Amino acid sequence: MEESKEDETLERDSLETVEKKEEAGEDLRSLLLPDIKDLPPIPPSAVESNFVRYFAADFMKPGHDQYVYRHANGLCVIGLAPTHVALREKGGVTAVDYNVGKSDRSEMKVTGKRKRNAQHFESNSALCKVCANGTFYVVRCCVKGSLLEVNDRLIKQPDLLNSSADREGYIAIIMPKPADWLKIKDSLLSHEDYRKLRGL
Amino acid sequence: MASQETEETRQILSRTALSFPSPRVVHDLLSVGVCPRCIFRLFGVHGQAYCCSAITASVLQSFLEEQKSCDNGTAKNGLVSDGLVRCSYTSQESENGQAYCCICLGVLQLACEQDQEMMTTSKDGSIDDFTATIAELVKRENHHIDGFSIEVSIPPVIVANERAIWMYMNKKYKCEEWFKDKIPSQHISVKDALRLSINTSLENHLGVKSGVDSFRFRLNYSHLDASRMLQSSLANDRTCKKQKTDKKDSGDSLDDSHKSNLKNSNEHLRSESDAVILRTLESMLDHAFCEHFVIPPEKALKPCQLTTTCYRMPIYIGGRYLKFSRKVSQSRWIIDDERMGEASVEEIVGSNALLVCKGDNYKFHAAGREDIDVRMLGSGRPFLVEVSNARYMPSMIDVQLIVEKINNSDKKYVRVRNLKVVNSQAWTLMREGEAEKQKQYAALVWISRALTEEDLHNISSRKDLDIIQRTPIRVLHRRSPLERKKIIHWMKIERIAGSCQYFLLHLCTQAGTYIKEFVHGDLGRTHPSIGAILGCRAEILQLDVTDVKMDFFD
Repeated sequence: MEESKEDETLERDSLETVEKKEEAGEDLRSLLLPDIKDLPPIPPSAVESNFVRYFAADFMKPGHDQYVYRHANGLCVIGLAPTHVALREKGGVTAVDYNVGKSDRSEMKVTGKRKRNAQHFESNSALCKVCANGTFYVVRCCVKGSLLEVNDRLIKQPDLLNSSADREGYIAIIMPKPADWLKIKDSLLSHEDYRKLRGL
Repeated sequence: MASQETEETRQILSRTALSFPSPRVVHDLLSVGVCPRCIFRLFGVHGQAYCCSAITASVLQSFLEEQKSCDNGTAKNGLVSDGLVRCSYTSQESENGQAYCCICLGVLQLACEQDQEMMTTSKDGSIDDFTATIAELVKRENHHIDGFSIEVSIPPVIVANERAIWMYMNKKYKCEEWFKDKIPSQHISVKDALRLSINTSLENHLGVKSGVDSFRFRLNYSHLDASRMLQSSLANDRTCKKQKTDKKDSGDSLDDSHKSNLKNSNEHLRSESDAVILRTLESMLDHAFCEHFVIPPEKALKPCQLTTTCYRMPIYIGGRYLKFSRKVSQSRWIIDDERMGEASVEEIVGSNALLVCKGDNYKFHAAGREDIDVRMLGSGRPFLVEVSNARYMPSMIDVQLIVEKINNSDKKYVRVRNLKVVNSQAWTLMREGEAEKQKQYAALVWISRALTEEDLHNISSRKDLDIIQRTPIRVLHRRSPLERKKIIHWMKIERIAGSCQYFLLHLCTQAGTYIKEFVHGDLGRTHPSIGAILGCRAEILQLDVTDVKMDFFD
């Protein structure tokens, strides 16, 4: 078959483009693949990498251990520490109720960038009640600030507290003012000090 | 020579005079203090009349007198000629008088104050001298231009002056035939007249054509005294209006409130913009206008102040960038005087573009963004650099120079490709449909158990997976708490040799999806997540953008 010169050039050009693309693909892959030697056997978790973990031991009552994960942007995630007395009960946590006294914390709706309609709470304000083995335990804010969010998944799935209280079982997210954080920071334990205290 | 010029001038004046109703009217306007060019404007004259420097008030005056003697007493409209008696305007006054045009305050006479110095000492400035000064600017600022256009800003008081002259003519000539057919919209504006006057001369000085929008001269005229008087007239009108409405409301004496109103109005008006003043003037009824404004307007003893600037309209350079470092942010990121990250794409690309174009400033716009620790690979992300007041329009060679400076720098943080000069619509095109564009990523993922073949199939079989993401905690402090529905179009696991818990996750998602949160779940606030789908804990170690799917600078 006779091919005109033009066809030849076109074919060569498209071949070159394909080759170029393949080459680019290879370059990309080599950039993406990591060096096995550099990979740790167990990497730090998202919580470990992005938050500083603080703990409040025996908060207002013995055995009521809670955590405060503080993000670099100032937000604090509140939850039950692994040594919380409710998590030691037979059968674990069976129910979570955000309706504490004055209002149902799960009803609030915070909107907007400035979150102006968020409710302000003191560190000893109640967030919710968790029921374990027939007993109700009150979970408190630990940090003075605006309540941005409660983990309403706990209402339908209280078992999250038994499986992963330190992650998916978090209780609430609070935004303290910088001044308020500084005041309370020193009364909280670092992760290391907490472990030492509880002999972990 | 001189006589030829005079002959030309005469011819121009003859043609111009065809638009005049009668010499008597023009005499009158001259005596009231209207300059020749403003007279031309009022009678809808076009063309050469404006750029003829020789036409001064006295020249016009003499021409009209000649015309009159030719006409020999018979005037238009059957009215008896007024002769020269009525005219109070003498040629002496035109030479020695220090007053400027009562409408344009000297703008069309090319007389103005510039930086405390008088631009021209005579009332009828030479066009060439005026434009020579403007042309100087180009050289001083090192601009290289292919053309220009002229932007003029004049104080609103000139609009008031023109209306005052109109009211004056209305009072005097409203019964005459020629006036009955006349409408204000036939007037040529001061701005247009100024352009007609100086365009050709400026073209000659600069050697380029006018009407080119990319480079502009801005002539900014202001007149403090006249503007202050305008404000007090408007304030008076305002208090009168308020008095009338107050009278309607209550019958009390309003002396005290009048005083406070006047004070408030004055202070209020001082800060009002030109647009507001013009609107107020426009909405003012004729009888109210005549009450508060001097008719005809007073002659101006000082001309306007003129500030001239020149600038090139912003130019846009677009292309795609790649980011190879995990320590370089997209935009300049400085907190408390400290730079976060080692550099920024914005500064690397922008500063090089600014350097080559010799501009004053740059702005960086990109189609989306990635975190500082995320690399931008593959074909790159579309971006635009907006360079303001570039000293010249960069050529293809200049653009290539920018590319080289960026790509061949020793740090190798950033690469650009397909760089070229684009027009201002590019910004809109880039923003259009940004929310619909898909993005492709490669994530280095770890799971808490060994990977199985089933996992690979589980992941790759899900097409167009719907997920719901609550605002990630890491941005919750500055974004609204919302639940956002996103789509993961496809996913593919690539095993990594030598590891059973690490793998590369390739995925293509809807624009606006938070990938990191999709992998680790953000404490359950993104659902489903990779961890939830595989039934174990998942963590993300690295993320790279591998494709931004846009037909833009491709």
